[in-house]
Amino acid sequence: MTAFLRQTWYIYVRNFKTWIAQPAIFIPSIVFSAFFFLLFAAPLGGVTALEGFPTDDYEAYMAATIIVMTVVFSGADAAMAMLADVLSGYFDKMLLAPINRMSILLGSMLIAGTRALLQVVIIIIMALILGVDFQGGVAGIFLIILLSTLLGVAWAAVGLMIAIKSKSAQVTQTSWLLFMPVAFITTAYMPKEFLTGWFKWIVTANPVDYVLNSIRTIVITGWDWGPIMLGIWVLLAMVGVLTLAATWVYRRETA
Amino acid sequence: MSTNSHTVEVENLVKIYPGDIKAVGGINFSVGNGEFFGLLGPNGAGKSTTLKILGTLLKKTSGRVAVAGFDIDKHSMDIRRSIGFAMQEVGLDDLSTGRDFLITQGLLYDLPRSKSKARAEELLEIVGLTEAAKRKVGTYSGGMRRRLDLIGALMHSPPLLFLDEPTTGLDPQSRLAIWNHLEQLNREGITIILTTQIMEEADRLCKRIAIIDQGIIVAQGTSKELKTDFGGDVVTLAIGTELDAGLTEKAKGLLAGREYVSEVVANGAELTVTVRNGNAVVADLVSVLGENQIPITNLAVSSPTLDDVFLKHTGHTIRSDSTGGDEMNQAMKAMMGVNQRR
Repeated sequence: MTAFLRQTWYIYVRNFKTWIAQPAIFIPSIVFSAFFFLLFAAPLGGVTALEGFPTDDYEAYMAATIIVMTVVFSGADAAMAMLADVLSGYFDKMLLAPINRMSILLGSMLIAGTRALLQVVIIIIMALILGVDFQGGVAGIFLIILLSTLLGVAWAAVGLMIAIKSKSAQVTQTSWLLFMPVAFITTAYMPKEFLTGWFKWIVTANPVDYVLNSIRTIVITGWDWGPIMLGIWVLLAMVGVLTLAATWVYRRETA
Repeated sequence: MSTNSHTVEVENLVKIYPGDIKAVGGINFSVGNGEFFGLLGPNGAGKSTTLKILGTLLKKTSGRVAVAGFDIDKHSMDIRRSIGFAMQEVGLDDLSTGRDFLITQGLLYDLPRSKSKARAEELLEIVGLTEAAKRKVGTYSGGMRRRLDLIGALMHSPPLLFLDEPTTGLDPQSRLAIWNHLEQLNREGITIILTTQIMEEADRLCKRIAIIDQGIIVAQGTSKELKTDFGGDVVTLAIGTELDAGLTEKAKGLLAGREYVSEVVANGAELTVTVRNGNAVVADLVSVLGENQIPITNLAVSSPTLDDVFLKHTGHTIRSDSTGGDEMNQAMKAMMGVNQRR
């Protein structure tokens, strides 16, 4: 077990160095977040005046949305990073080493979590600058960071499955299309009470929405444990199922 | 399986890719301790597939394989510890520095960090990359990348080294540098198995060569044995022009009838004639064609080369498969890579 953890650590450190060797990769996530705050939150702020809207600060409502969307889409980054290794042949190098091959997968998922963590910290700083008042306080912010990191790991598993199964840049690049409905068909812009028809049905079935709701509760309401815990359970289930699925695909492809 | 004298044993190895593509069709060979062994063949012959199976990167369809004394089905981890593998698609990490790449390699092979660092410096020095070691690998030239890849495979001092086309695409000078390193390593006692489609490379480096074509080993032995088995000298004749296909056939028929000719192979407008005692019979050969109004535009007599041996066993030259140009080959490899690890 210690050997496995040590090997995972080596892979993680290597992935980390590869990641920070390209400072430009931080730009999209910063621009993406700023874009959402400025182009959605600010002009659409009027909707908070609607009867029954849970907060009068639409930027606070949107903060959770931006966090979840950024993290879900970062699953595509994890896919591209692993695909780059597959195409360069470095992935084979790792497979040749006398290590537990699961450490390669785990090292990739953990770096995805780290990436998600950093992006979320950036978004939270941006939100604080814009005057968003986190009702959950400092502890709430820490919980949000933890939850989004886990969500990043879960969606990285999806991205890694696509990369390793397809081994194709074209397919992997379009994997964000798969993330789109998951990220957008949620209560991203409006609470569920305001939604109708098929959209509402899909939102109810979308596990990501429960995580979103959990995070948003911490931002706009504070420690209301009902929705928070529901989101946490759904998230843990998602992490479990998607990790198992990725492990299964990975074992098949590298056996 | 006895492994005292042989470090690699392959029996009836078969690999069939999905879609019923037979890459390796039941091959046998063994490699002794300290040997320098070559698998020589054109693109798509099954060389890389064979080496990848031996290196635990691919699962075989059937057959028996033992590497470094370990059965591949049961002890793949032990095999991985015993081999260094430099791949055809150089598996480097462009964003890391040369030194970092090596140190990580060492760590993955269980070397303590301090040992890994020391070993990296030692190897960098040997291949003349000390200066470049702090630069990102992405900035390296083709020759530098191959050298780095080679020493990456040596970080854990493996007794057995697998090299998949180690000099393909390199300029002559870089190729020579790699050859010298490989010879030095073999002198130090490392067993080396190399695949190549470069005759000269196999001839110079490998003590024993297996010629592989379409997944089958067609001949096996030392370079000298292969050439002796070939049986005589080679006369290469260019006949008329490319357009006269009938002329080539006619010439082939005439020459095949001479008692000193053991084989005639036509390749376009070129005839490769295997004869006993080449220099003595050239005059007769020329007069036979002359009497029949077949113009000879070029003629050369030579001792057999591995090219000739290859042509004799496969009916085609090793290079005729790569006339589509390197880009085509790269594209093919990339396409094949898609399904390789199934």
